[in-house]
Amino acid sequence: MITYILKRLAIAVPTLLFLIIVSFLLMHAAPGGPFTQERQVPAAVLANLNAKYGLDQPLWRQLASYIWGIVAHFDFGPSFIYKDRTVNEIIAQGFPVTLTYGTISFVVAVITGVGLGVAAAIYQNSWLDYLAVGISIGAQVLPNFVMAPLLLLTFTWWLGWLPGGGWEGGQWQYMVMPVIALATSYMASIARLTRASMLEVLTSNHIRTARAKGLPESRVILKHALKPALLPVLSYLGPAFVSMITGSVVVDFFFSTGGIGKSFVDSALNRDYAVMLGITILVGALTIAFNLVVDILYAWIDPKIRY
Amino acid sequence: MAMLEVRDLSVRFNTPDGTVSAVNNVSLSLEKGETLGIVGESGSGKSQFAFALMGLLAKNGRASGSVKFEGKDILNAPREVINPIRAQKIAMVFQDPMTSLNPYMRVSDQMAEVLTYHRGMSHRDAVAESVRMLDAVKIPDAKGRARLYPHEFSGGMRQRVMIAMSLLCRPGLLIADEPTTALDVTVQAQIMNLLADLQRDFGMATILITHDLGVVAGFCREVLVLYGGTVMEKSPTDPLFAAPSHPYTRGLLAAIPRVDQIGDELSSIPGSPPNMTQAPKGCPFAPRCGFSAEDCLDHLDPLTEFAPDRWRACNRKVEELA
Repeated sequence: MITYILKRLAIAVPTLLFLIIVSFLLMHAAPGGPFTQERQVPAAVLANLNAKYGLDQPLWRQLASYIWGIVAHFDFGPSFIYKDRTVNEIIAQGFPVTLTYGTISFVVAVITGVGLGVAAAIYQNSWLDYLAVGISIGAQVLPNFVMAPLLLLTFTWWLGWLPGGGWEGGQWQYMVMPVIALATSYMASIARLTRASMLEVLTSNHIRTARAKGLPESRVILKHALKPALLPVLSYLGPAFVSMITGSVVVDFFFSTGGIGKSFVDSALNRDYAVMLGITILVGALTIAFNLVVDILYAWIDPKIRY
Repeated sequence: MAMLEVRDLSVRFNTPDGTVSAVNNVSLSLEKGETLGIVGESGSGKSQFAFALMGLLAKNGRASGSVKFEGKDILNAPREVINPIRAQKIAMVFQDPMTSLNPYMRVSDQMAEVLTYHRGMSHRDAVAESVRMLDAVKIPDAKGRARLYPHEFSGGMRQRVMIAMSLLCRPGLLIADEPTTALDVTVQAQIMNLLADLQRDFGMATILITHDLGVVAGFCREVLVLYGGTVMEKSPTDPLFAAPSHPYTRGLLAAIPRVDQIGDELSSIPGSPPNMTQAPKGCPFAPRCGFSAEDCLDHLDPLTEFAPDRWRACNRKVEELA
């Protein structure tokens, strides 16, 4: 097990390196640059700027010094757009926000999604099932960029219950709508996955054995059916968690939460190479980490899996 | 009053292709400590009969008729009635030990929960009792093995675990649904010997469901032959083997390969079991029967006693089956 984890972590290094190189090259292949603006910047000024940020160097040298900065100093470089801020600062400011509302959204999505899926499977083809399936389809087809303004309209404009945006250090009033907007579609996917796999598990032989043992149905579900039913859901949860804690541009945009979801998209639009690479690496590293966590959880749930 | 009284038990399944009649009006009674074999080909309704007794039919299955266990009506009984009977009074051993045990729980835990739940024992005591039972089914190093997961056992050992688990509450009736079908031949013999020993030691009544007449011959006092969900013949074991009274039973017996039958092709009953979505009006076996006449296709005489304790359902008289 320990050797397996070490092996996986060792593989993570070339994977991340590959991710950095490909993103770096793709970014530079896109036309324009951080200092291309509608108003033509005088050539001499542009040359000075490029020299200051090292953009006049050959690509391979830029790449090498970038990677060296990360490896040697954990320095992801300065932002090309916000003159006095480094990438580290931008991530340090935005990531705690997305991490907070992302984690809460994740917990909400898992609890409601699994609950809805299990209930739908147990009462298959009853009104409860149809309601659960209806909710999850509705939640899935309603995009969050439609949901977010609807929430704002309802809770801020009409009811006046919740503030329309901001973060304020993560007070709960500021978190309710971001969490609903972010969690809903994930909840829907989790519910559908859980329902399908629970239905399959409930017809399996070992569930029949559990019933033949005269156990109450609640125990059959919780002790015998839930674990195997959640295995397929688990592999969805790893990547889902990463994409939730790295934020959502829609949430950050509509609710002005100031998370890195918006920084990421802004950086791509502004060709802020360093910020964009920094967040890409963060997402990549988290994805690798949580896929590993999922694999470890698999071994914990299914005794047949041994690494 | 017999321990188990089954009257006119029928099982129907609603499927997209129509209603499937898996079991038709099966009646039987079983005394304490008796052994009954139910034999028939695959798809003859043997397993569904057993599931109906235990209330374990699939969701689209409906059972009708009556099943009384120790005088209590248990057919289609609500959970509160049937759950205390399951495992405590009637226990079941299933066909496929690979999939019938929970792959995610230690053997000791899945056994112990029977006792903690039904007997209110502490987990520690329940595990100790489970280990004793694993010992009784001759699992070597039972104490150490109890901590393992099912996939760490061989097929035969898993079936021993299954049997041990079914016996924890000392049930009065054990239903063994093809307990050896998924096992290889040498292991089959060990499991049947074990079941015979346990049956004798614990004095429990046993219903053995199998398609293997050889297994029945060594184990059961009485045999019920099912075909197309209908009882063809019911008889004490010895006379059934000495003089099978039904064309179907004869076919089954003839299909057992013999050691002295060298070189010849193996005998089989021509045709295949009926599609039960269109339940035949007459005798379900008529299309494959060498003795059938026209009347067999539109009606089947009810089960009648033609010799002491021997019952058959066939339009032809025994003497006609030369």
